[in-house]
Parts: sequence; structure tokens; C-alpha cells
Amino acid sequence: MRKTIKRASVVYVFILMILAGVGILISQFVTKGSSWATNKANAHIYSSGTVVNAGRILDRNGVVLAESKNDKRVFASGEVLRKSVLHLVGDTSGFISTGAHNLYRSQLSGYNLIDGIYRLKTSGKGSDVVLNIDSEANRIAYNAFGNYKGTIIVCNYKTAEVLCSISKPAYDVNNVPRDLQTNPNYEGVFLDKAVSGQYTPGSIMKLITAACAIENMPDVYDRTFTCDGEYKTTDGTVICNGVHGEITFGQALNQSCNCAFAQLTVELGANKLRATAEAMGFNKKLKAKEIPLTMSRFNPSTISNAELGWAGIGQSTTLINPSHFLSIIMAIANGGKGYAPDRILTMGTYGRLVPRKIDVMVNMNPETASALKSMMRSNVVDKYGDYKYPGLELCAKTGTAEIDGKTSTSVFAGFSQRSDLPLAVICFVEEAGWGSGVASSVSNTVLQYFANNYDF
Amino acid sequence: MCLSTKTKQQPEFRQVTVMVLISIFQFLSMLAVISKQEETSMNTVYVFLGYIVLEWIYMMFNVIITGKDYFELEAIAFFLSGIGLMVCATIGESYAIKQLICICLGLLTYLVLLLLIKDMRVVNALKYPAAIGSLLLLVVNLALAKVTNGARNWLELGPVSIQPSELVKVVFIFVGAVSLERLLSKKYLYLFIGYSLSCVGLLFLMRDFGTALIFFFTFIIIAYMRSGDVRTLFLICAGALMGAILIIYFKPYVANRFAAYRHVWENMDTNGYQQTRVLMYSASGGLFGLGVGEGKLRNVFAASTDLIFGMICEEMGLATGIAVLIAFACIGIFAIKAAKGSASSFYAIAAVASASLLIFQLSLNVFGVTDLLPLTGVTLPFISRGGSSIICSWGLLAYIRAAGAPFKLPAPDIAVSRKTRSRNGGVAV
Ligand SMILES: [Zn+2]
Repeated sequence: MRKTIKRASVVYVFILMILAGVGILISQFVTKGSSWATNKANAHIYSSGTVVNAGRILDRNGVVLAESKNDKRVFASGEVLRKSVLHLVGDTSGFISTGAHNLYRSQLSGYNLIDGIYRLKTSGKGSDVVLNIDSEANRIAYNAFGNYKGTIIVCNYKTAEVLCSISKPAYDVNNVPRDLQTNPNYEGVFLDKAVSGQYTPGSIMKLITAACAIENMPDVYDRTFTCDGEYKTTDGTVICNGVHGEITFGQALNQSCNCAFAQLTVELGANKLRATAEAMGFNKKLKAKEIPLTMSRFNPSTISNAELGWAGIGQSTTLINPSHFLSIIMAIANGGKGYAPDRILTMGTYGRLVPRKIDVMVNMNPETASALKSMMRSNVVDKYGDYKYPGLELCAKTGTAEIDGKTSTSVFAGFSQRSDLPLAVICFVEEAGWGSGVASSVSNTVLQYFANNYDF
Repeated sequence: MCLSTKTKQQPEFRQVTVMVLISIFQFLSMLAVISKQEETSMNTVYVFLGYIVLEWIYMMFNVIITGKDYFELEAIAFFLSGIGLMVCATIGESYAIKQLICICLGLLTYLVLLLLIKDMRVVNALKYPAAIGSLLLLVVNLALAKVTNGARNWLELGPVSIQPSELVKVVFIFVGAVSLERLLSKKYLYLFIGYSLSCVGLLFLMRDFGTALIFFFTFIIIAYMRSGDVRTLFLICAGALMGAILIIYFKPYVANRFAAYRHVWENMDTNGYQQTRVLMYSASGGLFGLGVGEGKLRNVFAASTDLIFGMICEEMGLATGIAVLIAFACIGIFAIKAAKGSASSFYAIAAVASASLLIFQLSLNVFGVTDLLPLTGVTLPFISRGGSSIICSWGLLAYIRAAGAPFKLPAPDIAVSRKTRSRNGGVAV
């Protein structure tokens, strides 16, 4: 009898199990509640997999890019505007995984641990996501692309704000083409090339090779290179875009001389080149704040000198991610600190109270950055012509990336050195033909808009 | 424990406070429910007011006449049943009326059971009829279910459908506790083992895995409470046998249905459907809920029965969900207190087994739908919609109350007074 009664304490074990269960349940709600509540099957937010109720998505000037009205998602007016911000705003089904609708669905739903999605339920509005983007600049950039595909990103290198970002091809969310999935013109349309794209860099890669030379060859400024149109290595030949004769290191970058840079590359060797590139974030999984970037790849050949030479001038197997390379340009502009481009101004319930943290993505030796900056300035002054970019005081590098079986990609990367216009730009225009004209003029158009309308 | 002087006193302040709080909670629940209705249903109002009046009448009766020692235990049961009633009211007034009738039946079961088991002579007299009757009920259930080809653990009796296995839970603990009450009776030990194996076996045949598991667990608890020397060996063997049958018989079922366990999000639209909906809608509710009737989980199959915990979290908040869990933990604490002060080991075993069963079933339900345990499809005691489950929950509660504070009527009765004396003397009858 006494023994039996003593054993009643076994119930304490079960009580403890309840309490342990409560503890686990609470901790799971804290850590996973937001992703649970914003699952696509949640009928409070989604209807057959598409967002119906969520907060607004605005640009930096308060232009509403997407909002919910009567259980429907309504987008900005203007077809070009909608297309130009498609990849930033994202579609309501989440096909564009880096779009705000998918990436910031928890913030858009207004979810928080205490209220759940009560705000969304009662007002039909979650909390707003405000982008750093100027949607007018996006519209201008989209038009400037004409019929070409590609991407342009403009970023403030002092604050990391992404002011303009487009990816083409795009489509109109209010009028989704029926052949979206089948038409080859829309291939990769759900990919935001600004963050998920990979491009053969072409001559802008010479900036990395130059950085490696500056850091590893103390006498590089005193050297001269001879270009007779091609550079012969032991196992192949690198062809130049012209015949440049005897030139210095700085002139080699001005002229984008393949012979001089192939020679530098072979002298430096694959390992040093790779070390420089990797120190700047190549071959690494990077994140631009919440957005995972596709990896920039640089694997210079250790076997073939010709392949190594081609890698040093941005051909071969090298691929770069636009946002990552922009951060390298920002590092050159900003004394060695390249910030992670950030698309978000504020978001979430407490977004306005807590400023966004600025992340550093690329670290560069300040002296290297300063040397590259003056070389890039010289490119514009001595080669491209300042008159093409009136008033911008650009430092830049153009490029033409050759892709087998396709017309070349036109590439432009640069920044304004004006302290009242701290903007960096990177632009890829696909199949734009030989020369960097298209990318350079699109970049100029967008930068002029900012120069005329902003006082940084 | 001096019951005779205190029982005639007026209800104390503490009890009135608890009752007022519960009434306010239920009154607000009623306002919340009717505010969502397009046209106010008077029947819903009557159901809530009727329930509140029922609680007050019972509590007055209880406190003035039968002793108020376990007042909080009953208050918890009223609180939990009230939540279930509210959920039913948001589905429709006919559901609320049915649920209220079920709660009344549960309360009636509770009172009748308290009256019956206050006297050990009655308990002893009832043990064979109860055991045989419960087995017959399961057999009839199995036979009829096979004929109608319906769900095997349901029994359709005209307009009423009952779940016999729920009612048998109450009898099972009764039979278990009475068989093992006497230390020396080996015969009863064998009979109880035979009875348990029959119950679990019949549940196997009904393919009611969740309930079979609960019976098995309860058997282990009863066995643990009474184990000693030789009988330990028998009980362990019987337990092992049941466990083995459980594993072998349900292996294909378990493999199939438990495949989603801890992988519910990868199986969102198949085996993980119910769990993922519970999780996403519970999270949607936050700490305080989206409001009664505002949830979306209610559109999912079995929302008001197996998944009711998710509905509570979504519409009334995680805080209410946790309050429910804590309420069951409190029932456990009352059971320990009651068992330790009980007059004989029958009451101690019954109280501990009842509390353990309630907590075990609660865990299977709540932690099953939230994917902390495999999903077994059992109801949430006191709260889930459905009469059998409510009657069973209240019936089990009677054992806890009986152990701590035996039900006694004011009329002088020889049996009662002798019982009271022996209780105070600490000697079993
Ligand atoms: Zn050359």
C-alpha cells in the first residue's frame, strides 16, 4: 500500500514531459514560426500558391510597386515600369526566388512572434518593404536597353544602397505571356541576372590582373610591353584587339592590350592570380544582405600558358557575378572597402527604427584601390573621352566578352569620383556586338539621371 | 483532514473568484462567437449561458454539500470543456448544442462514478460485470463495424454514433485498479492480464492504433504501480507480449504513416498534410490568436477533433494552447496529491492511471499534430468535439477526485461513516 502510493510520483515524470514539450514547442515557434506562417499553403496569405494578402512594396520615393487590394495583388501602373522592377518585386508565385515577394515574404506578411499575422488578417496589409531603388531610374534604364538583354546595377558606394537594378528579359506581371515557359526569348526570365547571373567578364577582368601585378611586381610601373597584335606562349597564341607597339602598364590598361596583360598573367602565374581573385571574393559563396549570389568563378589554368593568358584577360572559363563584381568596383572607389549591395531601405515592423547594417563584401588593399582608381580615371580621360560622360568624372573600364557561337557581350564597369555623386555602375548588354558602346551609353544615361535629380 | 466541520461553510472567496473568472472567460467567448455571426443565433447564447449556469449550480452543490477539496480539479475540467464548447459554437449552433449535451453526459458520468466507487463493496461487486460488459462492447463494435464496412472504431446507433473504445478506457482502469488492489490475489492478476490482452487484441482488430497504444501505456502504469516480486515477472511478460504484438501487427501501418514524422514539410500534401497545416496556422495566430472563427485550419479535415489544438493556437493564440497543456499538468499534480492521501490502493492506482492516461493522450495529440511525436490520430481529452471522448475524460477525472476527496452525501449513512473513520485511521477497509 505505502509502496503503491509512493509510486504515484511517476506522474511527475509525465508532467515534466509536458513541460519539456512546451519548451520545445515554444523554441520551434521562435525559430521556425516565420517560415511556417509564410508557407505557400497558408490561405491567409496565398491563394492557390500566389500571394494575395501582403504588405506594400515601395521604391525609395514612395512609389507603390505592389500592394494588396480586396484579396488581390495590384502592381504599379505602367507596363515598362512593371517590367523594369519585375525581378526586384518578384512574381506572386515565387518563381523569381530573389524577388521581394518570395525573399521577404515573412516581412511582407507582417509576421511576428507575438501577433502572428494578425495585422495582415485585420487590415489586409502586412508590413511594407521599401526598396532603395528609384523606380524612375529603373524605367529609364529599361528603355535604354532597347531590345537588348542584360543587366545594369547602380549602387551608392558610400552607403551600399542599390539605386537601380534591372534584368532583361522581363515580362509584365499584369499580362503574363502565354509562351513564357516555351519561348526561347524568355529563357531564364525568372533569374535576376543582377544577383543570379554569371557572365564572362571580358576586359574588366584586367582590373583583377592589374591588382595582382601591383601587389606582386614592385617594378610594374617602370616596365614596358611590346604589342605586335599577338602574344605567343609555349602552347598557343593570345590575339590582341590591335597593334599597340611599345606601351607602359597604365597605357596597357587604357588600350586594354591583351598582349601586355597576357604576358603579365603568365609572369605572375596561376597561383598568385587566383590568390588575388579569391581575396576579392571569387570562388566563394557570397550574400548581398539577404540575397544569395551565384558564385564568381576563376580557375586559371596551371597547365596551359595560353589558357592562363586568356584567363588573365577575362576569357577562358572565368565567370563573374554582376553584384559581386560591382562590389569590387565599389572597393576601388571607396578606398578598399567594397560594400554588399543592399536593395532594402526599410522593412518589417521595426524597420524604421533600426537602420540597416552595412556589410563589407570585398576588401582591397587601399593602395591597390587608389592605384586602380587613377588608372581607371586615366582610361576615361586618355582613351574613352570625358565628353562621352559629361560632368560625371568617371573612372571606368570597358570590356567585350566573347562567347562561343554568339555575338559578344558589351560590358561597362565604373564609378564617379565626384564626392557628391558616389555611384558605381556595372552593366552587361548581351549580344550587343563588338565594342563597349552600348553598355557605356546605357550606363551614362542612368548616371546622368542621378546626377540631374539627386544631391548625395 | 477534518471534513465534517468545514463542509457546511459558505463558499470561500477563492472559489468564487475562480468561478467568476471562468464565467467571464466563457461569457467573452460567447460574445466573440456571436459577433462573428451574421444573424445572432439565440441558441448559441442559450448554450453558453446554460453552460455557465450549469457550472455555477454544480459548484454550489459541490462546495456546500460534497466538500470542496478538489474544487480546482473540476474548475480545470470546466475550463477545458468550455474551450471545446466554444470551438463547436463557431462551427454551428447544432454542434454547440450537441457538445453541451455531451458535457452534461460527461458530468453525469462523473457524478455517478463518484457515487459508485465511494464504497469498495460496490467496486468489488461491479468488477466482473464491468470487465465482461466492456469486452462485449468491443466485440459488438468489431462485429457491427465489419458488417457496415464503416470506420471500425465507431458504433452507429441510430442518430448517435459512439466510440466504444473511449468508454472502455474508463472501465479498463477500474478493472485494473480493482484487480491489483489486493496484494495476495494471484488469480486477479492473471484475470487482469487476460482482460488487458483481450482489450488490446480487439483494438488491434479494429486497427485503432492510437487507442491500442494508450491501453498499452495504461497497462504499464497500472503494472508499475502494483509490481512486486513474482507478479512483476508476469506483468513484464504480459507487457512485452503486448508490445511485440503492437509492433508486428502495426508495422506496415506504422511504416507508412510514420514515414512523414520529422519530415512533414517534404510531405506537405500527403502524409504531412495535417501537421504542416497545424504548424503554419498555429504560427499565423501568434501569441494571442487571430480571433474566434477567423482561422483557416477549420477548413481542414478533423480540425475540431484531432487537430483542435491547432485551431486553438490559430484562433486563440499559442498562449491559450500552452494554458491547455499547463491545465493538464495541474490535473497531474492533483492526481499525485490525491493518490498520496487516498484510503486504499484501488483509489491510488486508479487516480495515477487516469492522470497518466490523460497526459499520455494529450501528448500523443498535441505533440503528434505539431510533429514532435508521430501522428496517431487520437483526440484531445475534454476539448475535442465528440461525446465519447468527453464522457471518457470526465469519467477518468472521477477516479482522481475519488482518491482525494470521496464523494459523500449529507444524509447519514453507515457505510459512509465507517469509511470516513477508516480513512482517518489510515487503514484500508
Ligand atoms: Zn595590344
